[in-house]
Amino acid sequence: MGKAYRLLYDENACIGCQACSVACRVEHGVPEDFFRLQVRMELKGVFPRLGMSYERMACVMCEDAPCVSVCPTFASFQDKDGLVHIDERVCITCKYCILACPYHARFVNPLKNVVEKCDFCYESRVSKALLPVCVSICPTEALMFGDMNERDSLVYETSHKEALIFPKAHLKTKPKVAFLPKRKGMKS
Amino acid sequence: MSPVWGSMAQYEMVHWSWAIAVYLFLAGLSSGSIMVALLVKWNRHERSNSSIWDAMIKSGAVVAPLSILLGLLLLVVDLGRPLSFYWLLIRYNITSVMSLGVLFLLLYTPIVMVFMLLVFERSVMKYTFLSPLIALIQAVKELHSYAKIIEYFLFVTALCISSYTGFLLSALYAIPLWNSPILPILFITSSISLGIAVNILIGLLFFKSTINEESIKYLLVLDLRVILTELPLLALLFIGMFYAGAESANAAKAALSQGFWAGLFWFGVIGVGLCLPLLTVMIALKSHVYRISYVVINSMVVIVGVLILRYYIVYAGQIYLG
Amino acid sequence: MFAQNRRDFLKIATATPFIPGSLGAMGELTLCCEDKSIRSMCEMCSSRCPMEARVVNGKVVALQGNAYDKAMGTSLCARGVAGISQLYDEQRLTQPLIRVGKRGENKWRVVSLEEALEYIATKLNHLKKTYGARSVIFSSKTGESYDMLRSFAYAFGSPNVFSHWSSCPIAIESAFEHTFGETMHRDFENANYILNFGHNLFEGLDIPLTKAMARFASNPSKKLIVFDPRFSLMASKANEWYPIKAGSDLAFVLALLHVWIRDGKYDKNFVQHYSVGFDKLEKALKESTPQWQERLTGIEASVVERIADEVYQAAPRCIIDWGHKATTSPAEYQRSRAILIANILMGNVEKRGGIYFPKSAKRINAISFDEMIPTLNEAYPRMFPNEERLDGAGQHGSYVFVPKEHGVLQAIPEAILSQKPYAIKGWFLTRHNPLITLAHPQKMKEAIQNLEFIVVNDIYLSDTAMMADVVLPEATYLERDEGIRDQSDKVPCYTMRNCVIPSLYGTKSALEILRSLAQKLGVDKNYKWDTMAKLRVHQAKGDDAFLEVLLRRGVATFGIPELFLRESKDVERFVEHYPKSKALLCKEGCFSHFFHTLQTPSGKVEIFCEMVEKIFEGYGLPCAVDMDVTQGYPYVLTSGKSAIHTNGHTHNIPYLHQLMSDNPIWMHPQTAKAHGLKMGDAFYVENGIAKEKATVFITEGIRPDTLFAYMGFGRDAPSLKRAHGKGLNPSKLLSLRSAPVCGSMITNVGVKITKV
Repeated sequence: MGKAYRLLYDENACIGCQACSVACRVEHGVPEDFFRLQVRMELKGVFPRLGMSYERMACVMCEDAPCVSVCPTFASFQDKDGLVHIDERVCITCKYCILACPYHARFVNPLKNVVEKCDFCYESRVSKALLPVCVSICPTEALMFGDMNERDSLVYETSHKEALIFPKAHLKTKPKVAFLPKRKGMKS
Repeated sequence: MSPVWGSMAQYEMVHWSWAIAVYLFLAGLSSGSIMVALLVKWNRHERSNSSIWDAMIKSGAVVAPLSILLGLLLLVVDLGRPLSFYWLLIRYNITSVMSLGVLFLLLYTPIVMVFMLLVFERSVMKYTFLSPLIALIQAVKELHSYAKIIEYFLFVTALCISSYTGFLLSALYAIPLWNSPILPILFITSSISLGIAVNILIGLLFFKSTINEESIKYLLVLDLRVILTELPLLALLFIGMFYAGAESANAAKAALSQGFWAGLFWFGVIGVGLCLPLLTVMIALKSHVYRISYVVINSMVVIVGVLILRYYIVYAGQIYLG
Repeated sequence: MFAQNRRDFLKIATATPFIPGSLGAMGELTLCCEDKSIRSMCEMCSSRCPMEARVVNGKVVALQGNAYDKAMGTSLCARGVAGISQLYDEQRLTQPLIRVGKRGENKWRVVSLEEALEYIATKLNHLKKTYGARSVIFSSKTGESYDMLRSFAYAFGSPNVFSHWSSCPIAIESAFEHTFGETMHRDFENANYILNFGHNLFEGLDIPLTKAMARFASNPSKKLIVFDPRFSLMASKANEWYPIKAGSDLAFVLALLHVWIRDGKYDKNFVQHYSVGFDKLEKALKESTPQWQERLTGIEASVVERIADEVYQAAPRCIIDWGHKATTSPAEYQRSRAILIANILMGNVEKRGGIYFPKSAKRINAISFDEMIPTLNEAYPRMFPNEERLDGAGQHGSYVFVPKEHGVLQAIPEAILSQKPYAIKGWFLTRHNPLITLAHPQKMKEAIQNLEFIVVNDIYLSDTAMMADVVLPEATYLERDEGIRDQSDKVPCYTMRNCVIPSLYGTKSALEILRSLAQKLGVDKNYKWDTMAKLRVHQAKGDDAFLEVLLRRGVATFGIPELFLRESKDVERFVEHYPKSKALLCKEGCFSHFFHTLQTPSGKVEIFCEMVEKIFEGYGLPCAVDMDVTQGYPYVLTSGKSAIHTNGHTHNIPYLHQLMSDNPIWMHPQTAKAHGLKMGDAFYVENGIAKEKATVFITEGIRPDTLFAYMGFGRDAPSLKRAHGKGLNPSKLLSLRSAPVCGSMITNVGVKITKV
């Protein structure tokens, strides 16, 4: 049976410190001024009634992935577990997928001239039973990763305990990344 | 700018730039002018001397293949990895409009080139270095009993080309301005308008001897109708966005009111591209006289207008995301 | 990674400089097929988080938390992870430099380390002979290099050792000293209610603390109240945020104390048995009512009443958090003391979810009547020379309560310029960049022009290094071994910095540099070691099993159960484990004897501090003084840390610089409008000290009367090619005035805004 990977991002625990972003840069050699992953913070409201929203900006690994369906050469493809990858060999860098992605997860790596994005560290870590580096490094344990097919996994338990938000759910892309929305402070 | 760290630059990039806008223009031009040429051929030609091609058909026959070839060249050069374009010809993803486009182009481009050869058969004969093509022309001529069917087929592929450029964009639901079924229709109508303008212009400039005023009038009337369709189409495009959720509505609002691109829309697309031609066509038709200056001005503004429309759609779509 | 047996280890450790994993003794065999993990300690900031480096074929490929420390797990912050970016930064210093141009002209001659050290030794000897050893200042950020530098300075004969304390945690450290006799820690993990006065753990990260705080803040059943003039990330995670007027924390805390005392809502048992001076406090706080504080803090009286009640209901599982160094007013000492006393009144001392004394090996050994946990030999002997310090710290005058081992940095420029109390002619700095981190760098720059000899040991050619005569390129923390460090918290704990890869450019650590200088100067007779291996063996008293754990794991704990001395359940469990400790049980079943033998003059917790009162009248108890930070200016400029950068250290590191390269000044839209400023506009911040150009960042997240700058920007050193010339250094607007009693630098300052 394939894996049903899920990554949970807890907005309550995330402090926007960008450790995940730098760890990702180190792990994948992400070129300068580009990001596979970063956390955006946005201030909302009027002084003194304020709130801050935290949002993970990275590939959400859609089940119905627009990047895969628009790719003319199958360079963007899904593996047996439904993770979206990029086959650099056949990527012609038409950037169609970049435009198709509602999550702004993709960019052109200027050094290699191919499209790049978060791959859940599949090659370097997840396939070796390690956690994605962002999950592993997070100073506040705001990220959880695991297999939803495993009943005793943290992601399974948390997913069934908490109300999850799937980013841009109305687009019906069925992301494998879900957010735990903010409980305290002003609602964003 | 947010109160904290990181960079938004990557999310605000324009990935498809002028090259794509120009390609969309050229593809529209190619398909538009061949469609117009065929319409003239079918609707107007029987009545005139059938042995001499109408200037409108000649223009179409020369503009269509040249513009699509130029467009394709631009498209390939604009790829991040131009030398790997061959993967497009090896792998086909039928869910990708881009792949479909490649298929259409593979059908369309050769036929439109052959069409050119047939129209300019005599010119080809004159040049010895073009002699290898004569055999081809002869071979095609063998099929003359199927001519009509082939012409229909060419018309349909041209329609595919002009509509696919719209579907290419409208397939992306991440971009509110693009993600509308109106867009392909808008692109077809504007490419017909463009075809009329360019064919008339090229006809006047290069094939004056075979100009047929009746054809031109026929086309100007057609253009009037096309432009009158385009205006409500544009309105529908934005009205549709206002009812497609907050993100789309914001994008529509911004695209119509913020910055350079909103200005370009009102001045370039609406003003230059639609209102001005409407005015000149009406004057040209009303005066019941064939006035070359009006017609040339009309053609020029239409061409500029359509180019601006493509630019606007490509850029504003990527910039105003709601 | 560690193939050899213990006998081998000791042989190696005592014979050669020891690099775990890739050491010379194991030869080249190990080097060809390496993929190894080395546990060490981070130094991208001062939190000293245990971390782990993965090295593949001699290249460091990843850094993460050291999971042998449970409070860390594999977590590490952005700066910690960017240690790689620092290590391989081509703008790092790689060779020793000797100045050839004018001071600060940035013209250098590249020399060998040997030549540089010879030169330094000659110059130091010359200064000693001509002006006396005391004419040379030694300064460092605290840590191992500071321990060594202090030892070296004393051996050299100078009393003038400075740490970064006076520009950072000195107020709270003094308050601890005077109230508890030693530093206290906080148990965020088990608390239910926390009042936070600008202790911004989400932007000044310390992984174990930040992690505990994040867990606390995200737990809907716990309550976090944040007081900060700015809507910090910490504030964004709070249940309630109060944009308190800058510098007025003290007023709020005094009102809180007032309410508790008025209503009898405090831990009477604890106060009565284990503290002194409550009666005096009661009298002193008669006037500090919730209504009184309204005007000062801008917070409604009813809020004080409600919060006072809520905290009392949560007590003792509540913390009134003091912060490491919240940006400061002249009342910093009083503020810190008031906060500590608030904790005392809530009776949370040595309670779970409260505050506690670190449980060092010595302490646990004493309670258990057992020598089961190893203790360390002193490696950095320090015999304070019988000399007057330039600032009189710890000796006499206004800095008599400032520890003489830390001093008051703000006193340096004046001492140099006035030659009082005596001539100052040299300065040796390591891991210290006062031209960025200290108030009024303009004056400091002017002062150090008068010095004859300056040595700076650093990783980059920093603003301060630019002014040196000799610049020593320091090995980064990934390239050096260090000694063992006591990092005890809830349980005894030792950490050790292990070299991850051999030094890339053959650069040395501060420890090695100072050790060889000591030898060259002939002042090294008290050192029991000359190599890092011998240092470690000496510290560990030859306990090779202990050392091996530290080499393999980077951290050593001993399976001791957590012990809060006033939690009977903890005590019961401890007694079960260590029956001998039964002798210490009090009648409540706790180890309360401890509170009679504190290192304060009375041996108890001192609410009233007689020692301070004698010299600084009115300061023996917290009272409403020194709270003004505006000095008559319309705005207060505050500053603080970001999660991306460390003080004056990281701004040129590629990965961090690209995340945050500038520090536009936070300003409320109303304020911006009043001055006609739009987002990104340039303007001047101006006061009696300086007029500096800045750009504006308009945000709702700050009081209209307050401005905020992230610190460490505005670098003048051209060798910091990335950071050079970007942003504002808020230190330039600060005065060298120090806060009473504690000698703390004051980082909230009054300014006005003028248009460019």
